[in-house]
Amino acid sequence: MATKMLARMRYALAAVPMAALSIAVPFANRVEPRILGLPFILAWIAIWVLVTPLCIWALGRIEHRW
Amino acid sequence: MNALIALGIIVAVVAATILFAAASVRRIRMSPQEYIVGGRGFGAVFLWVLLAGEIYTSFTFLGAAGWTYSFGAPAFYIMAYGTFGYVLGYFLLPWIWAYGKERGLLTSPDFFAARYGSKALATLVAVVQVVAVIPYVTLQLSAIQIFLNIAGYGSIDAQTGAIVSFLAIIAFVFATGLRGTAWASIVKDALVIGALLFVGIAIPLHFFGTPATMFDQLLRAHPNHLTLGALAAPKGSIWYVSTVLLTGIGFFMGPHSIAAVYSAKDGDVLRRNAVFLPLYQLVMLLVFFAGFSALLIAPGLHGTDADQSFLTVVAHYYPSWILGFVAATGALCALVPSTALLLSSASILSKNVVSDLFGRALGDESRMRVTRAMVVVIGLLALGLWVAYKTTLVSLLLLYYNGVSQFAPAFIFGALWKRTSPWAVGAGIVAGIGIALALAASNHAPYGCNPGFIGLLVNVVVLVVGSLLAKTPERRALNG
Repeated sequence: MATKMLARMRYALAAVPMAALSIAVPFANRVEPRILGLPFILAWIAIWVLVTPLCIWALGRIEHRW
Repeated sequence: MNALIALGIIVAVVAATILFAAASVRRIRMSPQEYIVGGRGFGAVFLWVLLAGEIYTSFTFLGAAGWTYSFGAPAFYIMAYGTFGYVLGYFLLPWIWAYGKERGLLTSPDFFAARYGSKALATLVAVVQVVAVIPYVTLQLSAIQIFLNIAGYGSIDAQTGAIVSFLAIIAFVFATGLRGTAWASIVKDALVIGALLFVGIAIPLHFFGTPATMFDQLLRAHPNHLTLGALAAPKGSIWYVSTVLLTGIGFFMGPHSIAAVYSAKDGDVLRRNAVFLPLYQLVMLLVFFAGFSALLIAPGLHGTDADQSFLTVVAHYYPSWILGFVAATGALCALVPSTALLLSSASILSKNVVSDLFGRALGDESRMRVTRAMVVVIGLLALGLWVAYKTTLVSLLLLYYNGVSQFAPAFIFGALWKRTSPWAVGAGIVAGIGIALALAASNHAPYGCNPGFIGLLVNVVVLVVGSLLAKTPERRALNG
């Protein structure tokens, strides 16, 4: 059971950042709220660029790569 | 005088880098084994440098800022697509590496020959890949020409600049080779960080106080510049999504990237790189800041001139030595990737076409000679494209991705689906590129969709239907 859930999570860890950077962006297509002065759409992409390495790192942990 | 200082710095920096690269290669040749295994102990770092060096080019430096200047938000795709590509690469690249290692593959067309058992397909792929690389080399060439033009304060005209760029690229390839490229990348990346901190932080601080104030002013002057246009508008939301998908899927599909993948120590080195490389994409923020600042400080540049946006600001408001260093950094950003692009595509021509197809140049020495000749030929073709088709740097890059992304289905389906047939793969590639080019040439973009992405969808349909229809499906071992 637990392994099955982990396996499913693996794909989510890859799929979520990919979706966040592509199909989700038109939904974040706004200037407000500004984050650290950045327009929201740019902040959204920048945040996901920061989060993606964490997702891939977690993915590697689950697969026992490191 | 100013021009002499700026141009002198470019020449000095480029010459010093060539010497450094050549010296490093000689040092390494003393222990060739360490080199051949990619540095054993530092496999991940070495590959990181190589991949970052090939992927972050003068396009990152100039083209992205130019698009930010002209179009605003659509340029944000440039920060997203690489990151998208790395996630995909986590799954795909270790498989390509293992398959290549098992069979001793050297080039990207070698994969097609091994996986699909068809020399015709491998030859088709070889030719198409070389053609697709040409606009990417043209991009680097026109970038160097821009740097020379600005650093010469207008004293070097475009034609002369382009010819000097061509000669510089060829000289760099012959002097350093692929081994030196990774070492030259180290110098290049250090300079890039410095130059980007200057143009992306110092310029906004100098003119606006903070980047946030810059965005405030930008919103007042150009209220629609910071968001994507309507859903189906040109460079609207559909364009954004289709472009990220196309270029993200094609991110590692260039012949030079496949060559770099083969050079990895093991699959985990590639996976670890997928963790670290996205962080490099954050420097794109600085490039966007530079482009936006330039729009406020020096408005009114149009078309291809926008590629010079922040350089114009540097040339106007800062001393010539700063301009010299910024332009020298940019020139290295063009020279280093050009070396990898030209060598990988020239080796495809010599290995997969001259040797495998015509049975010539089989020895190491004669293949080396043919490869060098092909470097010059491909360089000349890139120069020809520059003369015939003047366009922005981003357009040249998208042209390249229209081509190379079409190889992705062959790798992805090749990994997952035993039944994938060589004829269906070939037909898919031809159909995909045909449609992408036809739409791009006629300036047709249904619903604002990127033409290359439509080509990619057609490519996948042809591949799947063709493979299902093939009477005797090739069943080849999949495990690498």
